[in-house]
Amino acid sequence: MNYSGILTQLIVGLSRTMILFIVSSGMSLILGVLRIPNVAHGSFYMIGAFLSYTIASFLGDVSYSFWFGIALAPIIVGLLGFFLERVFFSYLYEREHLMLLLLTFGLASVLGDLVKLIWGAEYRSMTTPVFLQGSSEFFGLPVPNYNLFLLFIGPAIAILLWFIFNKTKFGKIARAAAADKEMVSAVGVNVNLIFSLTFVLGCILAGLGGALVAPIVNISLGMDHSLIMEVFLIVIIGGLGNIWGAFLGSLIFGITQSFGILIWPQFGIIFPYLAVVIVLLIRPRGLLSSTW
Amino acid sequence: MLTVKDLYRDFKGFMAVNGANLEVTKGEIVAVIGPNGAGKTTLFNLITGHLKPTAGIVQFKGEDITGLAPYKICRKGISRSFQIVNIFSKLTVFENVQLALFSKYSKTFRMFSKASKYFIDETNSILEKLGLLEKKDLNSELLSHGDQKVLEIAIALASSPDLLILDEPTAGMAPRETERCIELIKKLSKEYGLTILFCEHDMKIVFNIADRIMVMVRGTTIIQGRPEEVRCNELVQKAYLGDIC
Amino acid sequence: MVKKSIILITIFTVLIVLPLIVPRFYVYLTSIILLTGLLATSLNIAIGYCGIYQFHHAIFYGLGGYGTALVITKTNLPYYIAFIVGPIVAVLFSLIIGLICMRLTKLYFGMLQISLGSLIWAVVYRWYSFTGGDDGIHGIPVPDFIADAKGNYYFTLFVVSISIFILYRIINSPFGKTIQGIRDNPIRTVSLGININVHKLIVLLIAGFFGGVAGMLFVVVDNAVFPDMMFWTYSLEILIMVLLGGMYTFWGPFIGAIIIVTLRTYLGSITQYWPMILGLILIFVIFFLPQGIYALIENFVKGKAHNADS
Repeated sequence: MNYSGILTQLIVGLSRTMILFIVSSGMSLILGVLRIPNVAHGSFYMIGAFLSYTIASFLGDVSYSFWFGIALAPIIVGLLGFFLERVFFSYLYEREHLMLLLLTFGLASVLGDLVKLIWGAEYRSMTTPVFLQGSSEFFGLPVPNYNLFLLFIGPAIAILLWFIFNKTKFGKIARAAAADKEMVSAVGVNVNLIFSLTFVLGCILAGLGGALVAPIVNISLGMDHSLIMEVFLIVIIGGLGNIWGAFLGSLIFGITQSFGILIWPQFGIIFPYLAVVIVLLIRPRGLLSSTW
Repeated sequence: MLTVKDLYRDFKGFMAVNGANLEVTKGEIVAVIGPNGAGKTTLFNLITGHLKPTAGIVQFKGEDITGLAPYKICRKGISRSFQIVNIFSKLTVFENVQLALFSKYSKTFRMFSKASKYFIDETNSILEKLGLLEKKDLNSELLSHGDQKVLEIAIALASSPDLLILDEPTAGMAPRETERCIELIKKLSKEYGLTILFCEHDMKIVFNIADRIMVMVRGTTIIQGRPEEVRCNELVQKAYLGDIC
Repeated sequence: MVKKSIILITIFTVLIVLPLIVPRFYVYLTSIILLTGLLATSLNIAIGYCGIYQFHHAIFYGLGGYGTALVITKTNLPYYIAFIVGPIVAVLFSLIIGLICMRLTKLYFGMLQISLGSLIWAVVYRWYSFTGGDDGIHGIPVPDFIADAKGNYYFTLFVVSISIFILYRIINSPFGKTIQGIRDNPIRTVSLGININVHKLIVLLIAGFFGGVAGMLFVVVDNAVFPDMMFWTYSLEILIMVLLGGMYTFWGPFIGAIIIVTLRTYLGSITQYWPMILGLILIFVIFFLPQGIYALIENFVKGKAHNADS
């Protein structure tokens, strides 16, 4: 492969990293505020992808079907998250923390099979929307339009999240609640509502990631599992509950992974793990330590 | 026995301990008092190694122990209880104290002998001292709050420390429990010759049992002296005591 | 106390005569239950007794299995070396993973362990030439005296009994009490002068070793290894056994293993939705049976005794 081929490969890899970032930022939020490493997060992502496929194929080959998928799938996933949070999680906040973690394991297992029940075990694939097909020149390199679109949307989400958590009242309260739950509820804030909203926001991000990834991968069972491992790593590298940490972590993960697969196709997946180990040796609490 | 010289601790720009000085000699009961947030617990954490000081020196028996790991400091003979109840909730009362003895005699790596055969007499005698003997087979999470605090002292005592540090030993106790706890501290000092350093917000207790008192305000030591001296010191009155004198 | 030992002796006697009276399939099933019971008990040492979030315990089971299988199929070394190498491989990886993960706090320990475990799984899954990839390795020969169902049953019973005995001794030793102290209150243990990291690491090694022993036994009983042994859903399954049986009890996880293995054997063959059933069981246990079945039995027995007294 020539030099520009490698660069193109890298940019494509980087654009997929943006999807990882969007999903990881959702995980990071839930982790930062609720202190749950939500194993079911991968399931929400997978459901987002399947939903977006279903919505697109329901609407048929029209130009707006993709946008409908991108808008609706995360919302439905968010509603599902809301339902689960109210029915299950909210009863466990006062209990031993381990129970909450195990619950997310259980939910991941149930949701995975529900997807199998609803969509079946076959691969699904959907096409990229017409206006995002083809490729453009990007610094002199041919890059598929859809990947350029992803490169744009990742930072946009990052800025949006930064805005929500630094400039809005909800965000400030959520950060305070993450630091000291008792204190915040003592001043009369409904902490449960904050928890619930944060959880839903996290789920929406997972669903959005799924909807965005749908056109460029085979939508299949098991995508929940491989993703959750990656997201855990990213959140650990980046520092917990930190949006920019998730961004940085995703970049490190994406770059080491794309290079790794380029160098050693069979076992390239080892490289991101090596990166994690190195980061942890230098900074046990992650690159950007949790600010909240 | 314990000397703290110009100790500082900075939490991201906030000086929690800002020039603390303390002197504890053998056999004394020394109290640290000060308004809420004066840095008493932080000071204790600095002494016992749970936090590392930004600057300053902690000396124990003439040896510099500044910034050592907590378990090393413990082995040098400083033992502490905590402000919040800090026991091993799923173990029995007996096992709680016994665990401290395992550590004291370096038996924590013994894997193939029966734990229940170790240190029965020593554990019982400590429990007896503190009046917990009848409850020894109870699961410690079932004890009353007062008993749990006493159990904490029992655990601290088990490592037969030269210096016992108690962080608000009577916090959250009912009046009768408080009385019992004060008697206990006095007894430990008189009958067993323990050196005790404690902090407390209840003035009556402090002036009742302390040989010497150190006053901390906003992280800084204002004075250390005998109760009468402290009571009548102008700075202290202004900062803290109001109109007791 | 006397009662307990009577129950144990009875169970042991039944286990010894069992292969003489039941069909071969049940002998095989009991072997699997025994080794899975050991697996669950070994996990409980870490998660139940020391409070370490060992979320990917199946890795050590798998490594024990693969270690044994590879020595048998790829080398000419004697069998007993293969049986030792399996658990040793598991211990080595326990050490490496433990050293890396111990740098993190509780929660993130679990997350990183899942990730690192999945990496090992992925490597095993892809390394066709060495591990047989997703097929695994089948038809692994074992010595004649443990080759038939009865033979490997008694071998399993023997190894599991010894292992369980050792684990029981460890839990009731000063070391065992110390790790329970670390679980209940790490900060307090530190100020007692206990180096908690060293203790935790040893716990991880013990858990890894006996997980590996269980994996080795699986090779003996099933003559096969495959990547699913170390897939995360299997770790979930072991966690469920521990929780279902009773996390803070010694025998609970074994009971959990009996239930889950039996259910899997019968339900797993008629439905392809076994993970969902597992998930539902887990959710049910979390909400309605957090103390586990063992505590339930214990209370029941105590209640009976109480009624009889009065």
